[in-house]
Amino acid sequence: MNLRNIIFIALVLLGVVIAMVPENTTKPYKLTAEQMLIEVQGAAEMVIADDVAHWLISKDPSLQLIDVRTPDEYQKFHLEGSLNIPLSTILSSENRDYVDQGLKMNVLYSNGTIGSHQAWMILRQLGFENNYVLQGGLNYWFDTIMNPQAPSVTSADEEFAKYDFRKAASGVFGGGNAVTITAPTANEAEKPRVIRKTKKKAPAGGC
Amino acid sequence: MGPLIPQEIIGADWNLFIAFVIGIGFGFVLEQAGFSSSRKLAGMFYGYDTVVLKVFFTGAITAMLGLLFFSLFGWIDLNLIYVNPTFLGSAIVGGIIMGAGFIVGGFCPGTSFSAAAIGKIDGMVFIGGLFIGVFFFAEGYPLIEDFYMSGSMGPIKVSEVLGISGGVVTLLIIIAALIMFKLGELAEKRWPRAEY
Repeated sequence: MNLRNIIFIALVLLGVVIAMVPENTTKPYKLTAEQMLIEVQGAAEMVIADDVAHWLISKDPSLQLIDVRTPDEYQKFHLEGSLNIPLSTILSSENRDYVDQGLKMNVLYSNGTIGSHQAWMILRQLGFENNYVLQGGLNYWFDTIMNPQAPSVTSADEEFAKYDFRKAASGVFGGGNAVTITAPTANEAEKPRVIRKTKKKAPAGGC
Repeated sequence: MGPLIPQEIIGADWNLFIAFVIGIGFGFVLEQAGFSSSRKLAGMFYGYDTVVLKVFFTGAITAMLGLLFFSLFGWIDLNLIYVNPTFLGSAIVGGIIMGAGFIVGGFCPGTSFSAAAIGKIDGMVFIGGLFIGVFFFAEGYPLIEDFYMSGSMGPIKVSEVLGISGGVVTLLIIIAALIMFKLGELAEKRWPRAEY
C-alpha cells in the first residue's frame, strides 16, 4: 500500500472519529464587554421579592434559589429550599450542573445584591442561561416580605393588595418577629438532581 | 486557549506581521507547487491537470479536521472564530464570474502574484486586470448595491443549515473530496495534453 492510500485512509478514519464524538461544548468567557453592558443596563436578570415569595408559596418546581453567601451565614438563615453555593466555589466543577442548566430558574441571593450580582456576572459571562438575582437581597426580603409595613390609608388599591399578600406570605415563612433559625444540618436542602440540557453547537467548517 | 489574537494571548498589533509571514509562506508554496503557471489552473477546467482541486480540498479538510479536533481538546473556542456572512445571490454570481476568470486568465488572485513575483508577464497583466476590475466595481457599486447585499443569511454554517453536526459535515466533505480526487485522476488520463 503506497503512502497516498495510507493518508487517504487516515483522513477518512479521522473524519469518522470526529463525526462520532460529541461536540465540545465547554466554553470560556463568551459574552463581550459590550454585550455585558447591554445586559446589565437592561436589568433583566432581576426578579422581585414578591414574585419569589409567590413561587415559593405555590411550590413552583422550576424555581431554584441559590444562596451565594458563606456556609456559616447559610446555616444561620436561608430561604426555604435554597442551595448553598458560596461565591468562592461558583466555578467549581461540582456546582457546574446547577448553574449551567436549561430547566430551572436559578435565583441567586446574598444579604444585599453585591454577592449575588458578582456571581451572576461570572455565570453570565460564561454564557450560562437561567440565572437571576433576587432584587434587594435578603435585607429587602426581610423589610418587605417578612415585616411588611402597612400602606397609608390614601394608598392605591394595589398597595393594599401587595400588603395583604406580603402579610400572608410572612405568615407562611414565619415572619414578623418569629424568624426561624434553621437547624445547621437537619433542614439543609438536598441538592436536587439537574438534567443538563445538551446545547447544540455547530463548529466552523469549510473552505 | 485559542484563537490566540481574540483571546489576547498574542497582541492585536501582531496581526499584520503574522499575516505577512503567512502570506509569504502561502506564495512560496503556490510557486513551489507550480501554480504560477497559468496552465495549472486552466487544466482544472479542461481536465488535464487537477492538482489545484487536490491542493485546495486537502487544505480545507485538513483545516476542518484540525479545528474540530482542537475544539475537542479544548485548545480553541470555535465561537470566537470569524465566520464570513453569506449573501447567497451575490455569492453564486460572484463565484461564476471568478470561475470564468480562472479559466480565461489562468490565475487566481494569489497565484497571479506568485507568477508576477517570478517575473511572468501574464501574471502582471492579470494583476493589472484585477485592479481595473476593482476600480469598476467600486465606481459602479451604487448600481449593484441592492443585488450585492441580496440573500443575506448572516454568518451561517452548512452544519446549521442541514441541522447536522460539524463532524458529520466534515466526514461527508472528506469522502466527497476523495471521490473528486479519484475522478480528477481519471480525467487526467482521459484528456491528457501532449504539449503540457
